[in-house]
Amino acid sequence: MHIHDHTPIVGPDDAPSYYEVMETAVRKLLIEKQLIGPDEIRRQIEVLDSRTPALGAKVIAKAWLDPEFRARLIANGRRACEELGITFYDDTELIVLENTDKIHNLIVCTLCSCYPRPVLGLPPDWYKLKPYRARAVKEPRKVLAEFGTPIDDDVEIRVSDSTSAVRYLVLPQRPPGTEKFTEEELASLVTRDAMIGVTKVSTERRNIQ
Amino acid sequence: MNASQNLIQRLPTELGGLPASPIERVEHQLLPWEKRCHALADVLDYHKLINTEEKRCGVEALGAEIVGALSYYERWIVAFANILFRKQLLTPEELAVKMDEIAARHTREENT
Repeated sequence: MHIHDHTPIVGPDDAPSYYEVMETAVRKLLIEKQLIGPDEIRRQIEVLDSRTPALGAKVIAKAWLDPEFRARLIANGRRACEELGITFYDDTELIVLENTDKIHNLIVCTLCSCYPRPVLGLPPDWYKLKPYRARAVKEPRKVLAEFGTPIDDDVEIRVSDSTSAVRYLVLPQRPPGTEKFTEEELASLVTRDAMIGVTKVSTERRNIQ
Repeated sequence: MNASQNLIQRLPTELGGLPASPIERVEHQLLPWEKRCHALADVLDYHKLINTEEKRCGVEALGAEIVGALSYYERWIVAFANILFRKQLLTPEELAVKMDEIAARHTREENT
């Protein structure tokens, strides 16, 4: 992927912001001191760009179709994802939480922004902002309603708070009417938000992220 | 529990359970420097220079006022600088000189 970008994006006279200058200065000093390699940031940007919710969607679709894979995924999320060629560049464990008729899972990071980046890419801003972090653990039912996801009162909502070492991924319920779908068709239904747990997978809403 | 006791029981970034406004589903494409900053975090972690836990603590150590005033990646880069100073991998002077140099050039980043 081509990431070399000369497009001016900051300030009326193209001057980089104070913090952008700081980022450049820190990076250049670390390279000059040979604490990091000259090409490593660029290569890591390529890794980041290669991680999108499409990877997670592939994992979910396979779990829906292959009960043995689903069992392995729930037993050890990271190892099962690695079976599909998804590498874990950030040295984190992955716990996959299965939604059922009686349990709805939601993931959050109350302290900062920990997120299953190897399988979903970088988190959306709302995941990192105060309202979601503060309220998801306290009033998840109201939070879910704000996402347009009403949860019946007899369904338990489980909120999992991520850490720097342990990340979560929601295995949503397969929607009815998809019995004849191929793995690719199923994967196209699975959205990022459904794997965070703030929405459900539906046949009416194609993957728009 | 009085107000000061409440304060010391929470880090500035510890938000779980606090009252907060309705959720707005905001998202933005990262600016190029923000993405570089994220990549820098990963590379610092690979080299065991700054791990995720140290980064989080570094942001907390900025204190509530700075955390509130800076954007997400602005906090990260300031925290990285502080941690690198503390580990004596960089000095404040080196950073200041380098930043002046870059600002003086006043041209877009070459992304190298």
